[in-house]
Amino acid sequence: MTPLRIISSGNYCEPVTSDPPELKALVKDIVGTHVRRIGRFIQLALIGAGRCAAGERIPPDTAVYLASARGDLEVTLAVFDQLFRESQAPKPLSFINTVSNAACFYTAQQLQLSSRSSFVCNRYFAFESALQLAQLDLERGQVKAALVGVVDVVVPPLDRHRAHLGIAADVTPGEASHWLWLGDAGATFAASDVILAVEQHADYGALMKWLGTLTLTADTLISGGQFLNDPDLASIQREIGVRECFDYRSARAYYDSQSSAAVGDFLGRAAAGSQLLHINADPRGRYSAFMVRKGRGAENESG
Amino acid sequence: MSAAYFIGASMHTVLGRGFPASIEAVRRAPSSPQRTLAEFAQQQHSVPYRLLSDDHPVDVERRLYRVLETVVEDALQAAGLTSVERAGVGLFMGSSSADISVAEARYRRELKEHTDAVALAGSSSLGNLAAWLCRKFDFRGPDFSFNTACTASANALVYADAMVRSGRLRHALVVGVELFNVITAMGFHGLQLLASGNMKPFDRTRDGLVLGEGCSALVLGPEPRGFGTFRLRGAGNICDTHSVSAAHPDGSTIAAVMGAALQSASLAAEQIATIKVHGTASLLNDEAEVAGMKRVFATLPPLCALKPFIGHTLGACGLNELLLFCAAAQEGFLIGTPGICASDSDLGVTLNQQACPLEPGNYMLNFFGFGGNNTSLIVSGDKV
Repeated sequence: MTPLRIISSGNYCEPVTSDPPELKALVKDIVGTHVRRIGRFIQLALIGAGRCAAGERIPPDTAVYLASARGDLEVTLAVFDQLFRESQAPKPLSFINTVSNAACFYTAQQLQLSSRSSFVCNRYFAFESALQLAQLDLERGQVKAALVGVVDVVVPPLDRHRAHLGIAADVTPGEASHWLWLGDAGATFAASDVILAVEQHADYGALMKWLGTLTLTADTLISGGQFLNDPDLASIQREIGVRECFDYRSARAYYDSQSSAAVGDFLGRAAAGSQLLHINADPRGRYSAFMVRKGRGAENESG
Repeated sequence: MSAAYFIGASMHTVLGRGFPASIEAVRRAPSSPQRTLAEFAQQQHSVPYRLLSDDHPVDVERRLYRVLETVVEDALQAAGLTSVERAGVGLFMGSSSADISVAEARYRRELKEHTDAVALAGSSSLGNLAAWLCRKFDFRGPDFSFNTACTASANALVYADAMVRSGRLRHALVVGVELFNVITAMGFHGLQLLASGNMKPFDRTRDGLVLGEGCSALVLGPEPRGFGTFRLRGAGNICDTHSVSAAHPDGSTIAAVMGAALQSASLAAEQIATIKVHGTASLLNDEAEVAGMKRVFATLPPLCALKPFIGHTLGACGLNELLLFCAAAQEGFLIGTPGICASDSDLGVTLNQQACPLEPGNYMLNFFGFGGNNTSLIVSGDKV
């Protein structure tokens, strides 16, 4: 595939042990204005995307790809309870915001973008799905740049939220919004942080066949997504001969789209020139993988 | 980059299950919509809804899966995929409400049994339906669930087409589904967007929309098969940030998305033989849509509207209307809506009135959704 340049990343990730924190002030601080009548899901999208822009003017022809396993759970649950417990019809804006791409709308509006937007869901490969769509559009020249993000929201009470996520009572849930600003790597390939590959495979055999085609340098690290079990990760690591694992999950609160945190964490901690191979799985034995390389920086670029 | 042809399809709407019944129905004038009851807590409201033919909303916890399974199986059979080809299928799902109808029914049943019932318990992923279909049919390709309001299944088609054309997938299955649910019914009731009679897009007497149920499936593949030579020639998608619930009234963003589709298809506006309008029959959106078309087309080609027949099937309307349009085109005619926007409306356009011959060519189909998501498709093709 055509490598994708990672222009920047923006992240928000907080464990939630009681009521989630108020986000209005943070949103205003990041996007520079008070955005009215939006819920936490949209607030989180604005925080992550805004941090990704980091005060820069993102070109208007940048497309937005937002993914989530569950969408705007907060507003959807509120509408359910208003209707079936309180016997009230949904308020117009609440109803409109049950369509999760409302978060794409506010992100594009606040960052003044006027290109494509997509909201896509996948229970196990949310981030990887958005990345695949962005990669497809960038490769075909349909868009020149892409903002790729995931959002996970916590809706208290925490016991009920844990039930929605299917996690144990002693697991701490978290809220997250992870975003990447991507463009064509072009001539800056060696210097830039890049996504080298985004792949999905039907089964273990197909994954291993693809891995066999890769050139894995000595400074390649491997990490397993939250839905890949440890024995499978160990087996893959052994078969492809990668020495070291990259851990970005052990101190992290639980949310559905943890894969998306791997990129930012890796770029923040890894040595220049090193690569990360990230592999995730779903319960049906399908695999999703992406590969990231940390750039050497402009000053080290030769020829 | 190879082509991606429409090689097998199926649909189920108020017009019937399968294409023969649907084609027969659209040769006549649209029927009057029925009303159905949206019941919640101790209340009930009557709302206009075009429900699926011969499968009304009873046994709601199982109905969605039954409808989906039948439509998808019919499409796969029409495409003639082998078991090996089926296993490699990538699934592209478009829906606004996904399995909300099931979650509602389950929650209402559980609330009757105990007051501490939890909504969406065990069913809180918008990817549930795609995951269910993958298990049911043993698809092992990737699955994507698009949730972009009324453009969802149109956008699903755009990416399915791209995946096949790029060679990443040999076959892709696009599915659009929208079934009756109380949240949607009461949401549109609250927005005061529901019509008192039938939908009359662009007509002076338009007064809103009628919701519709629909489920459709389309298989894409690299060589033409049963569904003629129809293929997606180009597409545009643009996020309109004017308003979360309405397109920019000056038509500029709608013109931009149609322009993007034409550019993607390498076509000039004059090469479009007809336009399938979105046509929600609401004042603001109709004004914006007509203004957008007039910006792009010096002379408008014939316009056809399909929602008067099947209602607004929301996230599924992209695929439902595309397949209905193509099925009629395959039979050589453009669908007409007698009596709806027959003479110049206040917007200065008319809709095609009677079924009339349609030559092979390039057809534009427009879809605009909440959240500013606007999509324009250009389909080309000929009958076999």
